[in-house]
Amino acid sequence: MSKQSKQVPRRGFLKAAASATGATALAPTIIPSSALGLDGAVAPSERIVVGGIGIGRRGGYDLGCFLQQKDVQFVAVADIKQKRRGEVKQIVDKHHGNQNCDTYRDFRDVLDRDDIDAVLIATGPNWHATAAMTAAKAGKDMYCEKPVTKNIDQSLILADTMQRTGRVFQAGTQRRNLPHFAFACELARTGKLGKLKKVYAHPAGMQALMSGWLPAEAVPDKEVVDWDMYLGPAAWRPFNKKLLDGFNFEKGGGFVGAFRGGGVLEWGSHCVDLCQWAVDDCLPPVEYNAPKDGELVARYENGTELIFREKGWIPLGSCPVRFEGETGWVEAGDSGKMVLSSPELLAGREVAEIGGYPATFHVRDFLDCVKTRAQPKGNAVAACNAHIACHAANIALQLDRQVHYDNVKHEFIDDEPANRLRSEALREPWRL
Amino acid sequence: MHTTQSTCRFVLTLIFWCAFSLVSTWAENQSTSPEKEKAAIAVLRSDASPAEKALACKKLAIDGSVEALPDLAKLLPDPQLSSWARIALEAIPGPQVDQTLREAANSIDGILLVGIINSIGVRQDPEAVDALTQHLQDKNPEVAAAAAVALGRIGNANATKSLRQAFTAASANVRSAVAEGYLLCAERLHAAGEPQAATKIYDEIRGADLPKQRIIEATRGAILARNEEGIPLLLETFRSPDKKMFQLALGTAREFPGSAVDEALAAELPNSTPPRAALMIQAMADRPETVMLAAVLKAADQGDPQVRMSAINALQRVGDPSCISVLLKTADGDDTELANAARQTLAALPGANVNTQIVAMLPGLKGERYALLLRLIGKRRIDAVNEVIQALDDSDSEVRSAAFYALGETINLDKLPVLIAQVVRPKTSQDAEKAEQALMVASIRMPDREACTAVLASTMNRASSGTKSTLLEIVGAVGGNNALKTLAAAAKSNDPEHQDISSRLLGKWNSVDAAPVLLDLATTAPAEKYQIRALRGYIGIARKFPMPEQERVEMCRKAIDASSRTAEQQLVLDVLKIHPSQDGLNLTIKAKQIPQLSKEAEAAAQFIQQKLGK
Repeated sequence: MSKQSKQVPRRGFLKAAASATGATALAPTIIPSSALGLDGAVAPSERIVVGGIGIGRRGGYDLGCFLQQKDVQFVAVADIKQKRRGEVKQIVDKHHGNQNCDTYRDFRDVLDRDDIDAVLIATGPNWHATAAMTAAKAGKDMYCEKPVTKNIDQSLILADTMQRTGRVFQAGTQRRNLPHFAFACELARTGKLGKLKKVYAHPAGMQALMSGWLPAEAVPDKEVVDWDMYLGPAAWRPFNKKLLDGFNFEKGGGFVGAFRGGGVLEWGSHCVDLCQWAVDDCLPPVEYNAPKDGELVARYENGTELIFREKGWIPLGSCPVRFEGETGWVEAGDSGKMVLSSPELLAGREVAEIGGYPATFHVRDFLDCVKTRAQPKGNAVAACNAHIACHAANIALQLDRQVHYDNVKHEFIDDEPANRLRSEALREPWRL
Repeated sequence: MHTTQSTCRFVLTLIFWCAFSLVSTWAENQSTSPEKEKAAIAVLRSDASPAEKALACKKLAIDGSVEALPDLAKLLPDPQLSSWARIALEAIPGPQVDQTLREAANSIDGILLVGIINSIGVRQDPEAVDALTQHLQDKNPEVAAAAAVALGRIGNANATKSLRQAFTAASANVRSAVAEGYLLCAERLHAAGEPQAATKIYDEIRGADLPKQRIIEATRGAILARNEEGIPLLLETFRSPDKKMFQLALGTAREFPGSAVDEALAAELPNSTPPRAALMIQAMADRPETVMLAAVLKAADQGDPQVRMSAINALQRVGDPSCISVLLKTADGDDTELANAARQTLAALPGANVNTQIVAMLPGLKGERYALLLRLIGKRRIDAVNEVIQALDDSDSEVRSAAFYALGETINLDKLPVLIAQVVRPKTSQDAEKAEQALMVASIRMPDREACTAVLASTMNRASSGTKSTLLEIVGAVGGNNALKTLAAAAKSNDPEHQDISSRLLGKWNSVDAAPVLLDLATTAPAEKYQIRALRGYIGIARKFPMPEQERVEMCRKAIDASSRTAEQQLVLDVLKIHPSQDGLNLTIKAKQIPQLSKEAEAAAQFIQQKLGK
């Protein structure tokens, strides 16, 4: 069967996207635990038992957010690095006042435990999608750091898998649960800016983020660093400690033969995700152009432009987004501040100014959805669409020309080189 | 020696990599490059390092064709390069690639065979069904499991038949993977409009001895594939004592098509325990198009507090004007938590007619209910200013307080003098505080801040000194050009309190246009402490706002000229260090001539030089 015509099973995808959108658009905020009568002391039966997978620097921050929640009982951590396993155990045991946090080298041992309800996946991006789908098939809900996927096919299969397995998935796109970003997106989504014309994202670099094959070094003891497990789904290469940087290793989008392309994924999975929310989490753009003068312009089916822009931002902190309609605009960034074309847009609303992009609210949203089984703000369909937009932009960058994407067939139109970049084989024995 | 060789090879690899990069800029649209393919194949045929061959494989994923297949196939048994070869093989289109993978699957075993089978699954090769069916019997459970999932991804009639036969006979350590593949076949059948065939598979899996997650997936499919006939199974799942199954029902209820399920959920609600009913209500409310509102409203009105709480919250999403009376009754009730929840829901209750109904209820009201509705007018920002103004004459202070709150949230510029009058001539001291708060909120909210501050400034002429202080605070909070002028004048007035307030507000001004005003006050303010405050505000602007560096340095120069104290001069040096520039360096060097600053200026100059790479 030709690769070009291969179809990922997509039953219900559009419907799922619509229902997730509906829920997101209508939900006033996070459904508070108190609304379910769950406030106050937490009965053991109401606790969410959580395990960690790959808890490094970012994961350590996420772990802190989880431990702040009184209904979380953290019981296990898996990491390919012995040192980190020990560090996380120390933190968790100190928090819970016991010695009960178990440590594992292989994350599948965490997934095998029936007592664990949910997992925090904060490995490097190389592992995110594969670990998330393995966790879903093992019956775990998950909070998964971003970038969630390495290519378009992974994004589609992720959304399908979460739906088929009935799992609650929250991408680590925590800005969806910050009031000023939420308000800015609401203005765009609800027509307060007039007909939406342009949404801007700041990719913060459009360079390649790829890993190579470095000279072999002595392989550490498996218990100290499990190199084979670190490589996981990435193609084999010898141990080299310079590659032992999970944050950057095989992040995705770093295509062969190019030192460009791929860079929109790291920040794009945040700011493009917000743009997707602003356009009501519709399907990703259908046209992507080669970058010109520091801008890469993509177009949605309805003509709205998604613009990846390097410069020209109002200084509002990292991860800025800007939404422009026919009658108004709004710009917001990580400082917690936003600038409006007119104070009338605020209409007296009080929008809390929370800077520093904390993930606490996002984690709470996830935990509440684990209980209610509602779709969290960073659900798999929303994450899938935002990541496809990033991957397709990367492909336009790589090919240095315009590409057209078909959201029904999930392929680039009459474009074999682009279609070849939709996926990449996983190293044995891993599969999605 | 070994390290040197490795490094050399790595450098060669980089050169090789760069060469590919340069060639890739030769843009050929919508086609692959035979030249680049030839180059990559040549690498595979050479004694190049594994690193180079790995990169050649990735290149062939983009430019490879059937020409590359023999060389890629040779790498499949290589533990180091097999996965790289499959990157190319999964990407290259055409049946010849499928044949290459099938042949490899006949000759390779172990973990590398698992990878090859996975690639066959990704490519959904229908010709591979027989071979994969044989691999279902492989002694290596990982190979058998991979074959099962690959068959599921192919999902045609033959693959489905193979999985059906294997399903009953599979050993325990492979059965879950067989079920996974079989489920994929069912999903495909359902999507293709064959729900009965899909249902049969789902039911087979549901009845088998399998890990719970497979049962959960099959149950979801069995409910949805049956359409409305799946409702009894959905309800059965809701009643399951197993928490995971109940959770599945909550999720599946949200996915279920049509409106019949909404009636069924409403009917099931009273039969559920309170914790479960509370969760069911949230699921019901996530179906806003078809939700049985009456059932949610009834749950909000009476019964277990936990269920009521969930229902009251759910009404924020699915309620309408028919819910107002129940919510008002609850808001007036003795249960504080429920009352607060009801007030929150009233503030967010959807429906255009809600606002009209709330305003229509105002005439004749007294006491708590009156105050509650006035606050709702504020929270919902209902345009009912005339009705709210009437409440300012009410004898109940709670009512007047609520009216001030509502005016703060809703009054427009035309009516602002009404609120200003309440600030200038309050009925009571308590009213004065509420009126001032309302005027602050209203003023900040005004779309035309210049018009707003003009009105406020004009009032100051006839206000008492104390009231003028309040108005200055409000003007400062609103901002804009008029505010700047008003505060600048007050900072130079004869009233010490106004001098204090104005210099404080100007010192924290959050825009560059305050710079000239602050620089002027730095030397002309009536007291030294206000001059210092103004100068520090001026330096703060140079520090925190984006501007051309020449402009910033010029501000710093003026600040040094205006300062008489080392403390402020040091702050200027800090600014120059934060924003290093050649002009800034020159100014820092010049500052060394100030005796009490020479040491700090020298250190700052060195720091800036370092930053500038000098």
